[in-house]
Order: sequence, then structure tokens, then C-alpha cells
Amino acid sequence: MLLVIVFLVVSGVYLAVNARLAKAGRDVLSLEKQRSELLRVTSELSADLATRTAPETMMARAAALGFHAAQPEDVLFLTVDGYMPPADFVAPRPPSAPDDVQAMLSPAYTETLGEWLMRWFGSPGEAS
Amino acid sequence: MNPEGVTRRRIRFVLFLMAVAVTALVVQLVRVQFGPYAPVFAARAEYGASRVEKVVPARGQIYDRNGNLLASNGTMFYLEIEVRQLTELSRKDIPLTLSKLLLLPLEDLYAEVTTDWAALGQYRIRLTRKDPNGNPWPITVDKTVAEVINGFLADPLAPDLSGLDLVAAPKRIYPAGTIAGHVLGFVNQEGQGFYGVEGYYDEWLSGKPITIHRQFIPLEARLQPDPPAGVNLVLTIDLAVQQMVETALREAIESSLAESGQVIVMDPRNGEILAMAAWPVLDPNHYEPWLPETTEEGKGNPVITPGVAGTYEPGSTFKVVTMAAALDLDRVKPETEFIDTGQIEVGGHIIRNWDGRSWGQQTMVGCLQHSLNVCLAWIAADKLGATDLYAYLNRFGVGQLTGVDLAGEVSGKLRTPRDPDWTEPDMGTNSFGQGVSVTPMQLLTAVSAIANHGEMVQPHIVRQVVGPQGAYWPQPTVLGRPITRQTAETLTTMLAQSLEGETRYAVVPGYRLAGKTGTAQIATEKGYDPKWTVASFVGWGPLPEPRFLVLVRIDKPATAPWGSVIAAPVFQEIAERLVVMLGLPPETTVAQAAVGG
Repeated sequence: MLLVIVFLVVSGVYLAVNARLAKAGRDVLSLEKQRSELLRVTSELSADLATRTAPETMMARAAALGFHAAQPEDVLFLTVDGYMPPADFVAPRPPSAPDDVQAMLSPAYTETLGEWLMRWFGSPGEAS
Repeated sequence: MNPEGVTRRRIRFVLFLMAVAVTALVVQLVRVQFGPYAPVFAARAEYGASRVEKVVPARGQIYDRNGNLLASNGTMFYLEIEVRQLTELSRKDIPLTLSKLLLLPLEDLYAEVTTDWAALGQYRIRLTRKDPNGNPWPITVDKTVAEVINGFLADPLAPDLSGLDLVAAPKRIYPAGTIAGHVLGFVNQEGQGFYGVEGYYDEWLSGKPITIHRQFIPLEARLQPDPPAGVNLVLTIDLAVQQMVETALREAIESSLAESGQVIVMDPRNGEILAMAAWPVLDPNHYEPWLPETTEEGKGNPVITPGVAGTYEPGSTFKVVTMAAALDLDRVKPETEFIDTGQIEVGGHIIRNWDGRSWGQQTMVGCLQHSLNVCLAWIAADKLGATDLYAYLNRFGVGQLTGVDLAGEVSGKLRTPRDPDWTEPDMGTNSFGQGVSVTPMQLLTAVSAIANHGEMVQPHIVRQVVGPQGAYWPQPTVLGRPITRQTAETLTTMLAQSLEGETRYAVVPGYRLAGKTGTAQIATEKGYDPKWTVASFVGWGPLPEPRFLVLVRIDKPATAPWGSVIAAPVFQEIAERLVVMLGLPPETTVAQAAVGG
């Protein structure tokens, strides 16, 4: 009888862990899809913004507002002590490297029940 | 029968059934695992439990030096037909709807949809249209049109589009349109980069696709690795300068009724290309007519990125290189006198001035100011000789690739005494830029040595490479020092003096500029074209520390043939705007600042 109870408990735990694992897997898939969609939308919005602020468009709008391109005689140069020119533009980094992703993932999401038990009942140094 | 006995029998019966069931399961398990069909079962399990996917990273983005986006990624949709899902009604409704929506010929679409594809063994087709050359080209639609079509597909009252399917695919977007089109190149529907930056840096930009094994049974709770992403590039191009230069070039082409033209603006100190314009313009968003398979050589198709791929005989702009060699070897000085009789014989070939006149006594400054072919041929033949002349042309990189990071660069052609087809008259004609072909970038690089105090820096277009690990700034590469600092500064002074006397069209009040006009005949298979010329100008400033070097080339102007009339004003217009856009104060302001005024 005791063996049956132990078997049922272990089975229950196993099922619970697997159910959580499956749910986490679904969440991961969903988040991956969401991330790629967000990246795509961000990219399209950036391109849209760049299109709306393209030089030809801005020049046409400036001309419509009565501005004209500055000529040398329009410009007065002043010496300003301590002036610091703006820093050079640095492009954003492309999406993160795979190593970073793996490092962020808890082992609870990848290990088997056996590995979990080993980790739990293993040497104190191995437990996390 | 007592109840206890009944209960025991029932328990035994249930246990027996369970034992039979377990035995059957074990037998089946053994059969599946180890039976003759075990490999088949294993394969089926593998197929159902997981999927192998190819993950392609997003292509890297391209920015100008100030962070303006030049190339990005979006989504397009192919229109595909699932032949077996077509109905009688949808065979009519699909062509009708698409022809109205996309303004495409109805009969072409109808022919495609009603073809008996099944008889040809095809069950899924991609709809096409004809490109300008008559070749079939897949129809693609943007997100807005895709939403309209999806709305039709979902609406039972809308036209019957059964069998029509929208297939998403990545698309390259160039927000600035035609601006810098020849610099950027383009990316085709398969994601391959062609020409310009897209072609040269294709492998870097496209990243590295990877294959992943996605487990479904049991479902893996694991983030799949990202494929190594393509790098983002920051160009040396300044979009505002590029737009200004393209406008100046377009206006010059239109006013002179010319066929084509190019302008390159470089910072001679470090080889950074600030702008590179070409006409006719290339719109990388609509690149189909420019694809290699749709263009045929020798049929007058415009060259893509002609700044590095379009060769020409440079004419008088090349005289600065010959003069630099003679000054550097101390064979002439600015005040050296030459009596111009209007013609000179070199290797049995008579060379005359551009106007056929004799200009009498001239100094070397006068030779440059009046652009005298006879004087430069005299310098080459009598003062330098073939060995020294070609040694210097070699040091200036004439006939060699500059190594600029743009796809499609060609080297031009220079015959030297080592070549079997070289003749002595070549030395005379080469001295004033005929009989030698260069690219605009090559000539600009050679002249940059004069503008940059004798040091020739490799031209480049990429300023910064940003990968997942961080940013990398390529350093300028010095190609060589073909002449001394003193020679470069002497020649610059001579060219500044001669420019002020040669043309009033290349002067910017308040700034000292140096430059040289060029009017070159166009070589054809039957000799030089009697009618058309290439009008050009190369100039730099402000002196004494030049910040920009500009080359203007206008092909076949109809209103006047001369570089001083056609190309010099373009330089002037560009220089006037450059000093403002780059924040370069006039000489008087610099002098006042120097004395603390």
C-alpha cells in the first residue's frame, strides 16, 4: 500500500512538473513570437519615421514655411570658449547574442525530474 | 456465497484485467522499441515530436554619420495561389479584384489564374507581373494592401478569393528613396545584396542563418538561440550634404541637357566620403531594372555606382598629377618659363592646345591656368621622361583599385612602357589626361594627396561597424605619400592662383579654394567622339587646411562642352553650401580668432 502511495505521489509530482514545464514552453514560444513581432514593428516604425523626415520632405516643408538654405553671407561665426561639439552617433547594437540568453535561463526550466532530484539531494555545494 | 468471497473474486478479476492490459502494453512497448518496424516508429515519433527550422536573422541596418536611417527592414507579402482550392467563381474574382487593387493588366492575371497548373504538376503558384524588360517578376504587396486582401478573404459578402494566399517575407526599406541609392546598392527578394554598401558588406549585414531543433513533445521550455545577427553600419555619408549634392547635380544635368554625371565629396584628411551622387538616380526600393540578369552589357544601360565603376578619360584635371611629379622631382618650379608655340611633337605625334592657339611665354601657373596641353606634354617628354612620369602615376595609384569599400570598383586603364601596346605618343597624351582611363574615385584619391599635404588616404564609406559585441571604428589607411608636403603645398598655391584666373565660376568669397577644370574628349571604338565631351572639375578648400575635396563630372553636356562653364559652377554651388554645413568660418574670422579678436 505504501509503495502505491509513494508511486502515486511521485507520479503526481512528475505530472505537476511536466505540466508547468509545458506551460512554460508555451509561454516561451508565445514570447518569442511576440518579440519577433515587436522587432518587426519597431523596424517598420523606424523606417516610417525616417521616410517622414527624409531630407527632400523636410526641405519641401521648410521651403513652404518660408525658410531657405543658408548661404555663407547668412552665417555669423562666434568663438565660444568651452564649447563641446556633440558626440559622434553610435548605432544601436543588433539583437543580443545567444550566449547571453542561455546564461539568463534558470536550470529549473531545462532539467529533468531526475536532474532536479539530484540537484536537490546532491551535495550541499551543488544545491542552488 | 459470502460477500467477502465475491469481493475477492472481483478484485482478482480486476487485477487480472489490469495484468492483461499491462502485459499488452509491455508487449506493444517491446514491439515498438525493438520490433522490425522500430525504426519506422522512431522516425514517426521524431517527426511528430519536433521540427527543424532555419532561422534567418534580420539584416543589419544602415545609418548616415548623424544617425539618419538609410536602410531598414520591413515586411512584404507574395501573392500565391493554392490551385486545388480555386473555385469557378474565384478564378474570375481573383484577377478582377487584384487588377483593380494593384492596377495590373486583367488579362495577364486572368491567364495566370486560369492556366491548368495541375496538368503541369504544379499545385501552388506565385503570381507574377512583367518588369520593364518584359521578364516575369513576383507580385508583392505591402502591409496595407495585405490587410485589405485579408479583409476580403474573411468577408463572406466580399469577392470570392478562395485559393489566394498571402505569404509574408522580409523586405529591405530605403527611407530616403533615391538619395544615396548608388552608394547603398540594393537587396533582392532573396535577401542578397548587390552593388554599393549592400553588395560589399553583404555577408556582414546578412548575419548567419542557423538551423534549430524545436521540440514539441514534450514541449521544451527553452529559449532558442538567436542566429548571429547582421551588423549595423554607420556610413561616412552625411545625408544633408548628400541631398544638397544630388540637387546640385540634378540641376546641372537638367540645365546643361547632359546625359549623366557624378559628384563625390571627400574629406582629404581621412578619406571619408561625405557624399557621392550620380545621375541617373537609382531607387533601391524599385531596383528591378538594375538587376544584373535584366541588364545587358553594351546596350547603353547606366552604370551602377559609377563613382567607382564608371571609367572615363579625365582630361585636364589630370594635369595636376603630371605637374605634381615635375615639381616633386624639382624639374620645374612655379616660375619656370615655357614658350608655347601652339604645338609640340612627341614620338612623331603632333599635340595641340585645346583651342589650337599658341599662348606664347607662360609660367607653370599660366600653363595650369590656361590648361595648355602643349606645356604639359613638354613637361612629360622633356622634363620627366617616360620612366619618371609613369613611376609617379603609379605612386598616385592611376590604373589601380583604390580599395574603397564599395562593390563593383574597377581599376581603369593605364598603358605603361612595359605594355606591348604602349607607344611614345602615349606619354604626351597621358600628361594631359587623354589615353588613360580612371574612375572618379581613383582621380579623387590621387588628387587627395595634393590636398592633404602629400599624404594619400584610402577612401572609405563605412565609419562604424556595430555588432552584438560592440562598436568598431575602422581607422583611416594611408595609401602612400607620392609627393612631399612642400610639393603639395606649392602646387595647391599654384592651383589657387590659376583657378582665380581661369574661371570666375569656382570662387567662394571669403574662402581660398584650389582646383582644376577638365574638358575631355570621349574615346569610342572609332577614335574620339567629334561632338561630345566630359566636363569636369576637381577642387578643394578652404586653404590652407582643406576640409573637403570635390570632383564633378558631367557627361555629354549639350549647352557647352567646357568644364569651366558646366562643371565649375556646380563645384562653386556645392562649396558655398559645404562651408555652411560643415561649419567652416571664412578666412577673416579665422584670422580674427587667431589674434583673439
